[in-house]
Amino acid sequence: MARVYISSIIDAPSTRVWEKVRDFNALPRWHPRIRESRIENGEPSDKVGCIRDFHLQNGDRIRERLLGLSDYDMFCTYAILESPMPLTDYIATLRLTPVTDGDRTFAEWTAEFDCAPEVAADLVSGIGLNVFQAGFDALKRQMAG
Amino acid sequence: MVKVIKSTVLNAPVEAVWAVLRDFNGHDQWHPAVADSMIERSQPSDKVGCVRKFHLADGSELREMLLTLSDADMAFSYCLMETPVPLLNYVAHVRLAPVTDGDRTFWHWESRFDTPLGRETELRTMVAENIYQGGFDAIRAHMGLEGAR
Repeated sequence: MARVYISSIIDAPSTRVWEKVRDFNALPRWHPRIRESRIENGEPSDKVGCIRDFHLQNGDRIRERLLGLSDYDMFCTYAILESPMPLTDYIATLRLTPVTDGDRTFAEWTAEFDCAPEVAADLVSGIGLNVFQAGFDALKRQMAG
Repeated sequence: MVKVIKSTVLNAPVEAVWAVLRDFNGHDQWHPAVADSMIERSQPSDKVGCVRKFHLADGSELREMLLTLSDADMAFSYCLMETPVPLLNYVAHVRLAPVTDGDRTFWHWESRFDTPLGRETELRTMVAENIYQGGFDAIRAHMGLEGAR
């Protein structure tokens, strides 16, 4: 089992950051690596169980199912159904927690998955840097000011 | 039931902050409200179930029991057993998490308690500002850290 953990501080109230990231279909609106996304079967993007079908800027296609969504605890959990990455049983959670000191946001993004041992290190660092940290960097830019 | 949640970010690696916070008997070294502290029966301060007896600057005596300690989660919880301040059924949880972006520390401190009727706001403010926020600021001074912002 490989594990990715990336966390950051976003200089905006957590309710504002959550408004942006809670929409399971909104990745193209804030994540620079995602080109376009749709929810299958015309379902609402906050319907637990819905599936997003999206493409990266490089054309790769990924399908993910929403497993859990909480407006109270501000987290979103999802699983990969289809992707070009050599991994299985991928489950990830994006979670926000308020930082009361300064009214900021502590953002954590974790993933666990199985893969061949020889590709684990590359997958962990690639997902951590290009997906999770890149997403946080984009949020930090977009929420500034 | 009153609930207090305070959190902050420290410009230090989480292991360094945990090294200070995990000592249940170490708060008199850094918290300005605590004058002295000892663990009853000479037990080690990381023995779950141990009781710390401490005095505030005004001389009042409090006793708190360690309910949970986890090096894996970098978290502990404790309850008030005896206090001259009417914080009833007080249970508090402290947890640290790494901020990988910048190798910093997220520190979460929360509690629930009951108070006599009509004193909720006063006691909530005392816990949130004097104990928790005051503790955040004191750790920064104790560890020689700059402000978190």
